Amino acid sequence: MGTFRYMIRDTWRLLSRHSGLSFLTIVTSVAVFFLVGASILFVLNTRYLVETVEGDLTIQAYVQNSEEALETVARKAISYDSVSSVKVVTAKEALERLKARLGKLAEAVALLEENPLPPSVEVQVKKASFATVIARELITMPEVEEVVYAGDIAERLQKISRFVSRLSMVVLVVSLASAALVLFNTIRIGVYARKDEISKMLLVGASRSFVIFPYVLQGVLLGTLGAALSVLLLWFSYGMALTTLERSLPFLRLLTDRLIVLRVGAVLVLAGLSVGWICSWLAASRFVRRASRSM
Amino acid sequence: MEIRFAGVTKQFPPDIVALQDIFLSIDKGEFVYLVGPTGSGKTTLLRLVTRELVPTKGRVTVGDVNIRKIASHNLAYLRRNIGVVFQDFRLLPDLTVHENIDFVQEVIGVPFQSVQKRTNEVLDRLGLWRKRNLFPEQISGGEQQRVAIGRAIANSPSILLADEPTGNLDTDTADEILQLLLSINASGTTLVVATHNQYIVDSYRQRVIELRKGRLIRDERKGRYRSDGDL
Ligand SMILES: Nc1ncnc2c1ncn2[C@@H]1O[C@H](COP(=O)(O)OP(=O)(O)O)[C@@H](O)[C@H]1O
Ligand SMILES: [Mg+2]
Repeated sequence: MGTFRYMIRDTWRLLSRHSGLSFLTIVTSVAVFFLVGASILFVLNTRYLVETVEGDLTIQAYVQNSEEALETVARKAISYDSVSSVKVVTAKEALERLKARLGKLAEAVALLEENPLPPSVEVQVKKASFATVIARELITMPEVEEVVYAGDIAERLQKISRFVSRLSMVVLVVSLASAALVLFNTIRIGVYARKDEISKMLLVGASRSFVIFPYVLQGVLLGTLGAALSVLLLWFSYGMALTTLERSLPFLRLLTDRLIVLRVGAVLVLAGLSVGWICSWLAASRFVRRASRSM
Repeated sequence: MEIRFAGVTKQFPPDIVALQDIFLSIDKGEFVYLVGPTGSGKTTLLRLVTRELVPTKGRVTVGDVNIRKIASHNLAYLRRNIGVVFQDFRLLPDLTVHENIDFVQEVIGVPFQSVQKRTNEVLDRLGLWRKRNLFPEQISGGEQQRVAIGRAIANSPSILLADEPTGNLDTDTADEILQLLLSINASGTTLVVATHNQYIVDSYRQRVIELRKGRLIRDERKGRYRSDGDL
């Protein structure tokens, strides 16, 4: 019990003696873990976006502005086995929908003299995989001017998401490596500053683990604290990012539950703890082993 | 614990022979002076006992363990039985007198209450009670040396090694230190004192082992600093 108390006290001494360095280390790890956390959240959101869009079974076929054209397209669409339902959206209805979506800004629409929106046929397919086939069929009809369906958007998003994933792996590796390096060096400086004391401790019969423990605890504390603070920062900035995005890009579907930040945060804290542990152990034990090796 | 050197040679790279073919045996409870000019190998000999160094040739045993073969956790235990007052083994400057004495007990895990009790005993014995809260630079050289001795005996070692313990001290202070060392020896601790202080060796006659250029040239009971042949 006594031993543990001494080791805790020594850890405190280490942290306070090199308080400037400890502070810098924490700042660095906060920055690093924030970067890592932010890129993870970005990837999760693009994935989520792809998933929701992919799950959308609607094909929107924009049609020439005539009732005949609308009817022809609708009848053709319903004749496919893989289509579950068809709905005609007139230009007027399209305008109403737009007004509803815009909310307060709807008055601006009222200023338009002529309805600029084309009418369309909304086709629901039974399975997402049918969407492409049906969309290709519909676009060949002369009445159809344009076809928009989720699969197409999903494909594009998928490409972006894949790129972002790869990029964030690089960010992850580089950031963690630099956090590790900073922690390793901080501990090493601490060890070298107390070189004298350490060799005396070993000379009067201190065990290696007694000497190493305070350094390891220091590393674990710095790494964990840095990661924890970055989670706090992530929590608030994610909230801010959500409100900003919801206001400017209201149709974007994001992971709005901030619980996701806590999940990512738990991973970050765990990573901070492990990086702190491993680096400090490496830095301290290497020195102590060398110091206690006899000539 | 007895100390035994059997044909010990210590060579430093590239080819400095610090000790050559040393045979010696120091029994439990003995008081031994290790004498010889600077560079004769005294410090090297003491550092072989603590296993800061390992012999190039021959065998050093402390108690019944061969120091070359000792495992690292056993080495920690061995060292708890050896107190050292080394030339370069200075006090920790940012710890007070009593913290310096606490320190060596803490690192081997002595419980807090026992540390306080033992430190107070040691401070009393060394007459340093009133200086306990001062830092090393605030006390005299003689007092610093007494703290160093106090630190070395704090864990009640069976062997005490002292390297030039009267190094920079005047004769009165040297007398004081010697009397302290003798009283420690009287309570059963084996003492090995490396010194080139002729005054103390001749005033407090004990066994003398003389080194010259790394060779043991004299081992005498109740010896003097210089052998009779040199006089
Ligand atoms: N770590 C070392 N590396 C190289 N040479 C050393 C080392 N330690 C001691 N020596 C050499 O060994 C010889 C004996 O030194 P030392 O044991 O310190 O003598 P003393 O303590 O009697 O003055 C000297 O020549 C010294 O230079
Ligand atoms: Mg010497």
